Amino acid sequence: MQTGKACDETVTGEARVRIEGGLAHFPGLAKEQTVSFDDLAIPQRQELASLAHLADFFNCTPGIDPTRPDARTYTVGLTIDGRSREIRVAEPIRDPAMAKLVSVVRRLSKQYAAVRECGGAR
Amino acid sequence: MCTSTHRHSLHCILPPYILSQIAENGSPEMRAMAMRSLLIDPTIRLVRASTAGPVAGAIARRRAAAGNILTPSPLRTIRDAGGEPEAPGVTVVRREGDGPTGDIAADEAYDGLGATFALFWEAYQRNSIDDAGLPLDATVHYDQDYDNAFWDGTQMVFGDGDGELFNRFTISLDVIGHELTHGVTEKEAGLAYFNQSGALNESISDVFGSLVKQRLLDQTADQADWLIGARLLTAKVNGIALRSMKAPGTAYDDPVLGKDPQPGHMIDFVRTNQDNGGVHINSGIPNRAFYLAATAIGGNAWDRAGQIWYNALLDPNTRANTDFAGFARVTIDVAGRLYGSGSASATAVTKAWSAVGVI
Repeated sequence: MQTGKACDETVTGEARVRIEGGLAHFPGLAKEQTVSFDDLAIPQRQELASLAHLADFFNCTPGIDPTRPDARTYTVGLTIDGRSREIRVAEPIRDPAMAKLVSVVRRLSKQYAAVRECGGAR
Repeated sequence: MCTSTHRHSLHCILPPYILSQIAENGSPEMRAMAMRSLLIDPTIRLVRASTAGPVAGAIARRRAAAGNILTPSPLRTIRDAGGEPEAPGVTVVRREGDGPTGDIAADEAYDGLGATFALFWEAYQRNSIDDAGLPLDATVHYDQDYDNAFWDGTQMVFGDGDGELFNRFTISLDVIGHELTHGVTEKEAGLAYFNQSGALNESISDVFGSLVKQRLLDQTADQADWLIGARLLTAKVNGIALRSMKAPGTAYDDPVLGKDPQPGHMIDFVRTNQDNGGVHINSGIPNRAFYLAATAIGGNAWDRAGQIWYNALLDPNTRANTDFAGFARVTIDVAGRLYGSGSASATAVTKAWSAVGVI
C-alpha cells in the first residue's frame, strides 16, 4: 500500500548498503554502495519508498538474531525526503517486507555502482 | 523442548555461541545465567559422548543374527523460492525418492544433500545433522542475483548467483557439504561464530565439504584439488575457487573481488572486525593443517584424517570458545587414542599443526 509521498514521483533521497559475511569474504565487495534517487527511474524510486513504508523502516526495531554461519549482515541506510536512518539486519530476514526492501536496495545499489564505475560493463 | 520443569529458557533453547555472547555482553543477571548454562553444557556433551555410538551387546548381536541391521537413509525436501527472498521456499519441487526435476539447482541440491548424508553415515556412522535422522531441507532460487549460500539453523539456502561474478551456488558439491556441516557443528561443539572459534567452525565445514567431494570422486588425498567452490566463479573472474585448502591465499586475485585474503600460517593471522572477526579469512590456517595431515597420512582423506577431525568435533574438550591451539591439542589427542600416540597418523597431525604455526 503506497501512501502520501511514497506515491509521489518527486520523492528524493538515496539508498546505501554495506554487506558483510557470506560464504566467503571478498575484500572488493565489502565496501558500501550508494545509489541516489536522482539516478533511479520513477518506478524504482516509488518501489523503494513503498517498501520502506511497508517495512516501517524509519520506526522499526531491528531484531538482534545471532549471526548464522555464512549468512550475511546488511547495514542499510535510507534517506527519503529528508528522513534518514541506518539499520543492521542479519539473514535470515524473517519480515517479508524488510527482506524485500533489503533485496531491492542491494540490487539497485550494485547495478548503479557498476554503471558509475565502468558504464555497466565489467 | 521447554517444559514446566525448566528453570530458565537460557538452558533449553540457546546454543552455546549465543550463551557465550550473553556471558560477555549481557546484563549482570543474564551473564550469570549464561555462565551457569555454559558450565552445564560440557557436562551434557560428556555424558552424550560416553553414551553415543552404535547399539552394542546382546541387542546388536540378536539384530545382526536376524539380518535386521537398520540402515538410515536421508529424508530430503527441496523447495523453490522462485526468486523471492523467502526461506523456506513456497513450492516443494522434490521430495525424498522423487526423480530428477530437470531444474538443475534443485537436482544438484538433492544430490549434494545425499552425498553429504552418505559421507557422514558411511564414514562416521552419523545419522544426519543431529545423528538422529533429522530431515534435510534446502531452498533453491533464493532471491534475485543472490551471491550466497547459508545455513539458517533449519535448512540450507542457495542463491542462483548474479551470472556476472558467480554461478549458481549449488554448482559445487563441496559448498553443499560445507553448509550441511555447519548444522553438524552447531549440534556438536557449537563453535562460536566469531574470531578463532568461528574460523575453526568455517574450517570444519570446508574440511567435510571437501571430503564429500573427494569421496564421491573416489580421490585420494594427493589426487584431490583441495578447492572450495571450484566452478562457482564465472569465467569473467580471475580465480579458480573461493578458497584453497592446499594453498590459502591463492584462490583468486581479481579487479572486482580483490585478492584472496586467506593466510596459511599463524604469522599472517589477520586481525579484523570484518567477517565476524575474519572467520572466512583465518580459516585458511586450520584448513592447511588438515590438508598437510591428510596428505602425510595418505590414502583417502575421509578415512583416518577425517575420522580424527570428526571425533575431535565431538570431543567434550572442543567447546564453543575453542581456539586453533585448543582444537590442535584435541586432534592430536584423538589421533593418539585412535591409532596410538607414536603412530604415523598422530605424528602427521602434530607436524601439520606445527607447520602452520599453531603449536
